[in-house]
This record gives sequence, C-alpha cells and structure tokens, in this order.
Amino acid sequence: MKRSGDPLDALLAQVPQHIALARDLWPQIEAQIAAEVPGAHVSLPARRWFQLAAAVVLVVASSLVKFLLVQRSMQQQIVQARNEVVQRMQPVLSAMPVRFDGHESVGMSYETVRAQLDAEYAQHIGHLPPLVRARVERDIADLRRSAREISATLAMYPSDSLLQDLLVSTYQREIRLMSAVNTMAASTAAGTDL
Amino acid sequence: MFANSPASVAAGAADAASISDARLVAAARDGDTRAFERLYRLYSGRVFGLCLRMTRQREIAEDCVQQTFVKSWRNLAAFEGRSAFGTWLHRIAVNEVLTHARNHGTRSEGVSLPLRDEDEDALDTAADANDAADGADVMDVEKALATLPAGSRHVVVLQAVYGYSHEEVAEMLGIAVGTCKAQLHRGRKLLRERLGLQELDS
Repeated sequence: MKRSGDPLDALLAQVPQHIALARDLWPQIEAQIAAEVPGAHVSLPARRWFQLAAAVVLVVASSLVKFLLVQRSMQQQIVQARNEVVQRMQPVLSAMPVRFDGHESVGMSYETVRAQLDAEYAQHIGHLPPLVRARVERDIADLRRSAREISATLAMYPSDSLLQDLLVSTYQREIRLMSAVNTMAASTAAGTDL
Repeated sequence: MFANSPASVAAGAADAASISDARLVAAARDGDTRAFERLYRLYSGRVFGLCLRMTRQREIAEDCVQQTFVKSWRNLAAFEGRSAFGTWLHRIAVNEVLTHARNHGTRSEGVSLPLRDEDEDALDTAADANDAADGADVMDVEKALATLPAGSRHVVVLQAVYGYSHEEVAEMLGIAVGTCKAQLHRGRKLLRERLGLQELDS
C-alpha cells in the first residue's frame, strides 16, 4: 500500500483477499457448463447477427425482385391495354364516313363497333367514381347532341366539307371517350392505372 | 546472479503463475473441464472473498461465485489475456454482484448493516488464517468494512483490499473516477471513526 505509515492501511493490508468457501460449488458449476462449449455464448450473438443480416438481405432481395416483376407486368398490361384501344379504334376510325351524298354514310363496320363499344360503355360506366361518371355522361350526351345537330345541318348543306369534318371529329371523340371509359374500367379491375 | 534475489523470485513466481493460468485457460477454451476446475480451485477463494465483502451475505456471494465461473466458461473465447485471469474473473464477479443487487434490490446505499452470524463466521475463518496476534484486528476491520454504505464499501474493498487502481475500480463499478475517489475518502473516514483511528488522510 502507498500509505505505509497509516495504521488504517496497515490494517487493511492484513485483510486476506482469499476466503475459503464453506461448500464446494464445483459440482453445480460443472453441471451448468457440462453441455456447453466454452465461448459458445460469445460467438452466438455474432452468429445471430449474421443470421439476422442474411434474413434482411434475403427479404430485401426478394422484395426487389418481386417489385421489378410486378412493375414489368404492370407496364406490359399498360402497353397491352393501349394497343387494344388502338386496335379497337382502328376499324372504327377507318369506317368513318368519308363521303356525304345528301346523307352521311357511316358504314356497317362503324355501326357494329360503335354498338359494341356502347354496350361495353353502358356496362362499365357504373363502375366509375360518381364524379367521373357524371362528367363522362355529360360529355357523351354533349357529343351525341352535337352529332345530331351537325347531321341535321349537313342534310341541308351536304357538300359543306367543314360540317363533314366536324361530324367525323365528333364521332371520333365519342368513340375515343367510350373506349377510354372501357379501358379505364378494365385497368382498374386489373389494379393498373392508366 | 540475480536469480535468487527476493524481487526476482517474486517476479518469477508471478510469471510462472500467469504461464500456468494461460495454459489452463487455453485447455479450458478447448473444452477441458478439468483445466477449468483447476482454475476454479485456484481462484474461487479470491472471488468469494470479493463477493462476500461486497454483498455481506454468504448465500448471495456463493450464487455470485457460481455465476461468475459459469459466465467465465461461456466467455473464455473473449478472454484475450491482456489482464491477469484473476482480474478478469473479478470484473465478472463485480458485474454479477451489481446485477444481483439491481435485480433483487439488495443494494443498501447509505445503510449500515451489521454482519449476520454465519457471514461473520466465514470472515472469522479468514481472519484466523492470519497470524493469531493480527486475527482480532482483521476481524475488527472486516466488521467495520461491513458497516460501510455500499458505494464506499465496494470502492474500499476493491482498492484497499484487492489493490485495484482508481481507474480500474471506476470501470468495474461503472462510476466516474472522481466518484470513486470521493467514495474512497468517505469510506476511509468512516473506517477510522469505527476503528478509533486518528485522521491521517489530510
């Protein structure tokens, strides 16, 4: 001890560090450690951390792969839906009246495709949100009223090319709007958003 | 030429002990429970002395000794040999005592408790092992130590009895070095009062 002249230090220096145990604790200690490898508890947390890290990497990797696959699938669905719209629009637009000899001639294929689109539109319009539905129905009604009025005027002036273009344009807008509604309803059902 | 001087003999004995410890630890690390039992036989008395003085209750001290050796076995791979094996055991033991006190609320900071008879017997036996003339004095010191508040007692025991530095004691107990010094000063003052010694610290 540093304070050799201090009687307290002298007394404390006499206190034995060793005190004999009244009973042998080794049997209990041996029983507890018998099944354990020394150091196993040291490496266990490290191993757990490694397992946790591996699990996290696995989850992240699988989530990333799934995300990429879903995204690719969604993009394919969007492209497919757009192609379908274009394909469906093509015969309709090509069947549009090009000549008006007193009465506009819209052609049979136009009437057929339009009737089919109209049936699908009637079926899908109910699935749209109320505000969107009201807006679409108002626009369709406006387009149809305009087409009737233009058609009536065209009966009086059959050679007016401006009225002819206007009528074709009105029919096209009606077809596009109905197709858009049908496509939107289909993509909503598929979980995609156009 | 200097091989037989007292200093070189003591240093040689310490080296031999550490080499022996290192071998036993290495063997125990490889799963040799006999080697670990030898370490237990070598160090259990020292660990028990520390635990008994810190807890003042033999049953708790024995539990702490048992858990100290079980945990040291489990953590043998973490023992790098930078300190002596006995010091490493003491760190585990102190941690065990403090954990036990936290879990069981037995920490009696500021409360002076006398030793129970059976615990006094254990210390008596240790005191008797010293010279007969000093035995009575040692027992008085043990009793005075036991009446110290826990904070001061832990510091005095670790520093004055087991010879650890302020820094080592502070680290073992998880307190600041300044707190450690203050607790030592307080403990020594109380010990002087209870042993009827004159103040020399100032």
